[in-house]
Amino acid sequence: MASTVAAQLKSPDDVKTSLRLLVQVSNDFKRQISAKNFARIPHENTEYTEAADALRSAIKDEPADFKAKVETRLKGAVAAFQKVSDMSADAPDADKLMAEHDKAVTTMNAVFDLFPPDLKPDPNAVPARRGPPKN
Amino acid sequence: MLLSTVLGCGLKPTPKQQVVDLYTGSDGDLIAFRPDTLTCPTGALVRLTFHHAGRFLSARHNWVLTYPDKMEALSKDYLDNDGVVPKGDPRVIAATPMCDKGGKVMIQFVAPPPGDYPFLCSTHSEDMRGILHVTK
Repeated sequence: MASTVAAQLKSPDDVKTSLRLLVQVSNDFKRQISAKNFARIPHENTEYTEAADALRSAIKDEPADFKAKVETRLKGAVAAFQKVSDMSADAPDADKLMAEHDKAVTTMNAVFDLFPPDLKPDPNAVPARRGPPKN
Repeated sequence: MLLSTVLGCGLKPTPKQQVVDLYTGSDGDLIAFRPDTLTCPTGALVRLTFHHAGRFLSARHNWVLTYPDKMEALSKDYLDNDGVVPKGDPRVIAATPMCDKGGKVMIQFVAPPPGDYPFLCSTHSEDMRGILHVTK
């Protein structure tokens, strides 16, 4: 159960940050697709793998069985975002890429399900805007 | 590796001119400035240091100061041009070079007239923003 795991996490703050990074990069994927900046998507994919590494680092001291569960789902998420990146290079189509991105988000949410609710970011959350509001 | 780049280093304070050191950075790897609010007096020679505090993501950041009514147009241009800050853009009051994770960059400039001036990262111009309060 996620709540049982929650109480035992060694570095909850690092876990929370790394999960936020995954969402942050996923949102950047979505933004680049919407803007049809297809050339930027491989770069976002690189950042997604870096964010995945941040999560691996955050749970490095957790029990092996828990790390194995996370790793299995995390690999699935990384592969799903890799597929979006590959599609963007082969035959970029914003609608198809967005549909594939939605699938990737589902695999990412499966990773989040292994962690307690208070550490899970809202996948649809927009980063806090700073500065003056838009006109 | 810590890289430091200084722009505007030719500026020297005039007699009686106040020199103000400001510091900001990225909120780790997150797309946010920390702190995102800075203050200085008008006319001061500002020496601003930006620290990219990220550890994991290869995203690069910078610090660009602009005018309130230029913010959104500038942000859109950066989105369309991969965050490139053209030299001599009159909408830009001051801008550091791009900074890689773990690095620091610096800029010197003279604080503009009193008011609230937005700053942003040109590679994350929609989300990574802050305010420079320039006082009398």
